[in-house]
Amino acid sequence: MNIETAGLIRRFGRTEAVAGVDLQAGPGVFGLLGPNGAGKTTLLRMMATVIPPSSGTLRLLGRDPGAFGPRREIRRRLGYLPQSLGYYPSFTVLEFVEYFALLKELPPARVPGAVAAAVEQVGLGDKARARLRTLSGGMLRRVGIAQAIVNKPELLLLDEPTAGLDPEQRVSFRAMLRDLGQRASVVVSTHLVEDVGAACTEVALMHQGKIVFRGTPDELTARGVAGGAGDAPLERGYTAVLAEARS
Amino acid sequence: MAYCNRGEMDDDGLIAAVAAGDDRALRELLSRHGPWLAARLRRVLPAAEVEDVLQETFLAVWRGAAGYRPAGSAGGWLWGIARRQAALWLRRRGPAELALPAVPADGRALADPAEAALQHAELADAVNALGPAGGAQREVWQLMYVEDRPVAEVAELMGVPEGTVKSRAYRARRLMRAALRREPVRDGGGR
Amino acid sequence: MSGPELTGDRGGLAAGGPLPPDVDLGRVWLGVATQVWRRRPGRVERLAGRLLRSPGLARALVTTPSLLLGWVIATVVLLAAGAVATRASGTPWVALCAPALAAAGIAYAYGPGIDPAWELSCSMAVSDRMVLLVRALALFGLNALLGVAASAVSGAAAALTFGWLIPMTAMCGLALATATVARSANAGVAAGLAGWVIAVLAGKAVDGHVLTAITDSALVLPYLAIAACGTAIAVYMTRIPRGTA
Repeated sequence: MNIETAGLIRRFGRTEAVAGVDLQAGPGVFGLLGPNGAGKTTLLRMMATVIPPSSGTLRLLGRDPGAFGPRREIRRRLGYLPQSLGYYPSFTVLEFVEYFALLKELPPARVPGAVAAAVEQVGLGDKARARLRTLSGGMLRRVGIAQAIVNKPELLLLDEPTAGLDPEQRVSFRAMLRDLGQRASVVVSTHLVEDVGAACTEVALMHQGKIVFRGTPDELTARGVAGGAGDAPLERGYTAVLAEARS
Repeated sequence: MAYCNRGEMDDDGLIAAVAAGDDRALRELLSRHGPWLAARLRRVLPAAEVEDVLQETFLAVWRGAAGYRPAGSAGGWLWGIARRQAALWLRRRGPAELALPAVPADGRALADPAEAALQHAELADAVNALGPAGGAQREVWQLMYVEDRPVAEVAELMGVPEGTVKSRAYRARRLMRAALRREPVRDGGGR
Repeated sequence: MSGPELTGDRGGLAAGGPLPPDVDLGRVWLGVATQVWRRRPGRVERLAGRLLRSPGLARALVTTPSLLLGWVIATVVLLAAGAVATRASGTPWVALCAPALAAAGIAYAYGPGIDPAWELSCSMAVSDRMVLLVRALALFGLNALLGVAASAVSGAAAALTFGWLIPMTAMCGLALATATVARSANAGVAAGLAGWVIAVLAGKAVDGHVLTAITDSALVLPYLAIAACGTAIAVYMTRIPRGTA
């Protein structure tokens, strides 16, 4: 088990962004769906050890992120792509990816090879030495993915990773996810329901800080058979479950 | 680097770009020349070593591109570098590792088995450039140059006029020379 | 998502055979790219890496915006100008300017105000606290060194040469706190500058001397208190990065 949570709660002031989440996940690709404000990003940030839980238990890669030493070990094995990642405009693609490889304490001897592999894997080999300020939004997103995968993480957390990618890039991105999901736990938070259907082995739907559905994409589709708004079967399942949760 | 389609640049242009520090030109060179270099190296080296030697070759290209003189043939220059790297590897590993041919074509044992293996690979490549076995160029090559028969005899054996034999022999020599020096053949296809 | 396939055998060359099936040109390119693309750290970074026992921390240090060469040169130039002005006019400009310069440097060194990838930085094995510590110490040390050198060159008395170090810590604390609270490096610079101008003018108003802010020993404790509070606020405010959730 790479992710284990029990009764996980996170408060900001008086609101509970995450209101009691129980989750276990091993290797595989795990999709996190839900409307804005459902708590997906907060949950991801807790798993990225960026914010601590307010209460409940959280174990990542078999360790407790509350303690300094284990948290550092988790972070070495972690890959995180935040929803909006800022960039250092004067850095090149290689410098940016290498910077975070070093901050993840990847052994220096392995850094050049890991950086080259990550940059090639996201298809930015041609732009390796271009400065970030010259890149388009989709390319910047791919740079973000590259820094997340550079240390071959065991836990990969991606918040809206396909924003700005064209359909062809999204297809190869999903293939990359399936590949990574063989060894690692990949959690993808997304608005795009079709991303989830194609790449994920399991899906969770969040609503107002709680998980209201957990199962395979097919099971989610099945929930929409009786009726639900949407153009695609998975979308109908999504809206059906949400409608139920709201009632 | 200004926008340019490296796929359309010729080899001399690419090497000049590499000398100026263009890593994408280096990649284009690898894409273009990697396959035949790998095929030739594969005759004498196991697959994993072919990758290593190719890697060392193109790193040497990266470092030494400024020393390339455009008058020569890019392919020949590249093979020269690859050859040196392969010879280094072969000498390091010793005779047991060599995928040696049975005997060099002219019977003389060369002092250096690494050299022998590489020359064999080059020759095999060049002979392949003459076309399929049984084709006109190969037959002429075999009869006139390997078996050393006079033109009249070859003409009789092949059932064609002497003039045809001479022009096929000329074409065969050009193909061989181009293959050995890794140049494109300038005229169109011919018999 | 993996890059263009490296298997094409371009026509026009005499046949050497197609790519052998057990040879992977993609792997070859990766090996080449690793060497061609590698960055070789400079001497300062390598030394820092050995001292700090962390290549990541060293890289974070040498990429501090206010420790980049341009900034350092600007500081040197300003302090040199101050030294010249001091010799010419007798007013110890170096002592008056140095605290503000240091405060500006600190505001541009750390935190959400200056780091666009702040959220990501907070998930790194090299903790942002260590980065703060190392950057702040380096900046402080550099500014102190340059300031003392400029002061000595300008022929100021010993009390003035070192006296401004304490106000400098206070202004740095103030600037850092403001920069992290407002999530803006410029706000931090403004606060440090404004704070110092106010201190100097207030001292002048009380005593008539423009140097009171530096020389009055009664101010030492308040300055240190400001430095400590400012640092505590900065550390507290960056405890949990405000995300976009």
